[in-house]
Formats: sequence, C-alpha cells, structure tokens
Amino acid sequence: MNESNSPRLDRQDLGKIALVSLRAARMIMESGGRAQVIAKSAQTVACGLGAEFLGLRIGYASLAISLGDDANMITRMVVVGRHGVNHRLDQAVRRVVQRITTERMTPGEVEVELDRIAQTTPKHPPLFVAAATGLACAGFGRLLGVDWLAFVPILLASTLGQHARHYLLGKQMNPCVAAAMVAFGCALISSQGAKLAGSDTVNLAMIASCLLLVPGVPATNAQTDIMDGHPTMGSARAVSVLMIMIFATAGIWLAGAILGVHP
Amino acid sequence: MIEAVEHLAHQAFFGGVAAAGFGILFNFGTRDLLWCFAAGAIALGLRTLGLDAGWSLEAASFVAAACLSVCVAGFLHPRLDPAPDMIALTGCIPMVPGAFLAQAILGLFALTSPNPDKEITTVVLSVEYLLRVAFTICAIGTGLAVPLHILKLMNFRGSAAE
Repeated sequence: MNESNSPRLDRQDLGKIALVSLRAARMIMESGGRAQVIAKSAQTVACGLGAEFLGLRIGYASLAISLGDDANMITRMVVVGRHGVNHRLDQAVRRVVQRITTERMTPGEVEVELDRIAQTTPKHPPLFVAAATGLACAGFGRLLGVDWLAFVPILLASTLGQHARHYLLGKQMNPCVAAAMVAFGCALISSQGAKLAGSDTVNLAMIASCLLLVPGVPATNAQTDIMDGHPTMGSARAVSVLMIMIFATAGIWLAGAILGVHP
Repeated sequence: MIEAVEHLAHQAFFGGVAAAGFGILFNFGTRDLLWCFAAGAIALGLRTLGLDAGWSLEAASFVAAACLSVCVAGFLHPRLDPAPDMIALTGCIPMVPGAFLAQAILGLFALTSPNPDKEITTVVLSVEYLLRVAFTICAIGTGLAVPLHILKLMNFRGSAAE
C-alpha cells in the first residue's frame, strides 16, 4: 500500500502516523472491537498515511506499533482505558479508517476527525440505558423461568443496578469491585421485592437481576481472538470475564447469606 | 401443540427484548435496535426449537448462533451496514449462560463453608455447570464465527466485498 512516489517520511512524521494509528486502534478496542479489527485498523491507518507497517502488539492494557520506511523505524505505545462496548463509536472510527483508504488525509486531519467523532457520536441517556438494561434482565428472568410476580422487582433492581454501575465506573471505581457492589444491591432488592410480591422464584430473581454484569461481548470476543491468532488478548479477555463473574457472584452470595436465601 | 407454540413465542419475544435492551446498553442506533430485537428473537426461537426437540443446550445454541450468523451475513448484510457481525453477536447475548456460571461459582463457594452439605452433589453440579458454560460459550462463538469466516464478512465493509 506504500506508494513508491510518496514523499520520504522523517522520524517526526512516522511518530505522528504511529500515534494516530494507535489512537484509532485504541478507540476501537475501548469500544469492544475484536483484536483482528484492531490490528487491521492500525495497519490501514498507517499504510493509508504513507508509512510501512511493521507490526502491532495488542495487549489488554496497552498497544504498541512499529512503523518504518526505507531509512527510519520507530515504535510507539499507548495505554488503553477501560474496555466497554460502544457500537456507534466503533462504527464511526471504522468509517474514518475506511476514508483514509480512499481520500488523501494527513495525520493531523485524521486526529481532528477522531476528536470530532469522540465528541459527537450520540449516546443514549443514562436513565434510558438503565431502564432498557432493567427490561433486558427482566426478559432474561422470564427466559430462565422466573414467574410474573418477580418480573417488576427484577426490572427495578436491574435498572437501579445499571444506574449505580454507570455512576461507580464514572468515578473510576475498579470494575470488579463495582460488579460485586452492584450484584449485592441487585440481589438484595430483587429478592426482597420478589418476596414481597409473593413470587415462588426468589432465588432465580436474585440471579436474573445480576445478569447485566455478565460480560457477554468480551466472552465471545475472547474466543474469536484466539481463533484469529491473538491468543494473548483472548486469554486476557477470558480471565477478565472470569474475574468479573467471581466478584459478581460474591455479591450475590453475600446478599443471599444476609437474607438467608439460597440463590 | 398450542402450548408449544406459546412457549416458542414467549422465548422468542423475551429473547428479542433482552437483545434489544443490551443493544441500548451497547449504544446501537435506533434503527439497529429493531435488528437486535429480531436477531435475539430468531436466536432464542431457534434454540427453543432445538431444546424442545431434545437437543442439548450446547447443540441448540450452536445451531441457533450459526443460523443467525448465516441470516445476518448471508442475506441481511446490505441492510445492516457496516458491521452485521455485531448485530448477530448482540442477538446471541441472551443465550450466554450467565446464570449457570453464577450457580457454578456459588456451588464452589458453598464447598468452602466449614460443614458443607452434600459435597459430592455440589461438586458434580458445579463442574457440570462450569462445563456447560464453557461449551455453550464456545458453541455460540463457533456458531457465529464459522459462517462469517466462510462468507468473508469478518471485518470492514470494504473487505466484505473482497
């Protein structure tokens, strides 16, 4: 992809290209992208901006890229923030990456474009997200066999739980600790609510209200990453999924122990 | 017969509700949320048919994920531009056996109590749940990935046309 008549790049140019490539890759990673997509994005940006792509190291908490041309070679690294899932941001970054292959853009223009989408990509309001997540958990409850009497308590508990999780993660709390606290609160509220409503499925309601904490996308991405030849990233994702689930289960267990309910 | 259809409709509807709810959590756009609902309904509907036919959870989940992946990647991808695989993945989220995993870990916690009750049963149940979780997640991941790999739709819009 490197054009032979493209101007020679000095180390400073390569540094700028490396950083903007890493920025695009990091945004996709933080939005829940698979390792293969992250690698391809970084490569597309780097090659589209005229550098020779030598390699990308994808770690769970950092990314490093090596670029070069005939005369120079550089390596740059960035730290990756909290992994989440943000579909619209992921898609917006991919569109920018696509544009680089068809339009002549400079690293500065790509940086401005990435800044713009980071600020302007729409998000659903947190309360709406919380209510939708509550409804999803109540739906999960019905799939698990929870009776109708426990439906509203699960809905309420999960809505409050998602709102609390959003708040705690916004305060930079450790995701595992946040998962334990949210699971404890959800299990407590849903079990008490289901008991008051006269439900026969209090134990299932406790678990259903905490299903918002199950990291489903990272769990499937872990397997796909390993299949795609990124076993380190896949294993790290699988371990992080397991850790979140252990902490969440500890929260459910504690709520059950306090209330004398066996989940 | 009517009961079976009602059960199928119930599972498909709540599968769609769960997938759409998680679609909002994953910040899908409004138009894509309808596709998330449809994907969740298809996945849970197919899994329920499989379970009702006597298949194991793992086999039913694999077939449901693979069929959804073929539907999305093979037929719907021009409408689901630019990442149909994310719609298929969100549709499969209601099949992730999070409740089994929680019950397996709770069983292991119970074994560490000073006087565990029915240890052997608890160990067997916990291991069974853990294996089912592992195999079901693998079944979903494999069911989603294989058709997408075959149809070369794994990455970008551009590469889909390669």
